[in-house]
Amino acid sequence: MILVLGASGAGKRAFARSLGYNDDEMSCRIDSAAPVLYGLEEIVRARPEGSEALLETLCKRELVLCCEVGSGVIPDNLADRVFREAAGRLCVLLAQRAEAVVRIVAGIPVAIKGELPCARC
Amino acid sequence: MMILLTGGSACGKSSYAESLCMRSPTPRFYLAAMQPYGEEGARRVERHRRLRAGKGFETIERYRDYGSLVLPERGTVLLECICNLTANEMFDDEGRMTDPREKVIEGVGNLASQCVDLFVITNDVGSDGVEYEGSTAEYVRAIGEINARLAEMADTVIEMVAGIPIVIKGKIPQ
Repeated sequence: MILVLGASGAGKRAFARSLGYNDDEMSCRIDSAAPVLYGLEEIVRARPEGSEALLETLCKRELVLCCEVGSGVIPDNLADRVFREAAGRLCVLLAQRAEAVVRIVAGIPVAIKGELPCARC
Repeated sequence: MMILLTGGSACGKSSYAESLCMRSPTPRFYLAAMQPYGEEGARRVERHRRLRAGKGFETIERYRDYGSLVLPERGTVLLECICNLTANEMFDDEGRMTDPREKVIEGVGNLASQCVDLFVITNDVGSDGVEYEGSTAEYVRAIGEINARLAEMADTVIEMVAGIPIVIKGKIPQ
């Protein structure tokens, strides 16, 4: 599993396409069998409590794409704070398990753990 | 040596900083700037206490006025965190506002002069693109400038992303 992080709109899915995954192989549903899962932050936002239990399922994917959501002013709203914490902690666990972690900065993939993956095939 | 660690919420700043502190000389002081409010604050403090348990830290709760703090001994200091300290220096208990910049910088300088290794945790609050009003906007701007000044003072600056340290300045102390 390779974890791909970055801001909203930074180019995470474009990076997945550059590795040879087409859009049919990408899903934002946790129960899908697609090799690429994107929008993990929205899955956590919907159910932040116990999101750590998703770890094993997520580790079976080839790519997991998640927005970095922890920067900025701490939100006034408790639900938003809980969500940010849950997403952050899940990403720490995923990063520990990942073969590589790639952070997309303005569309540029930066390997922050392991090596940048090669395109498929 | 001074090490500044930044990163978003729940990115692993504290546990990484604590692991670096374990390689630094004793005694180790944990300076807690957060005033715990309500149940959420109490839970947060409890979680941090659990993380630190067995690592030989003496906890000193101090919410402001780090410029006059006298440490009992020279050793290692972990200050957590600049965002709380800045808020506490900026707003007094009656909600009156003062410019926190000089007090925070002077406070960190005072700590640096009294220890061997100083680890300072901060957060990047200015990158959510939200336009805040009044005092919050001023707070965000102040932290941005304080972070820049602390980074100048620091030997090493590390950004944490999902528990992974990214070195922005200097090198990770061995």
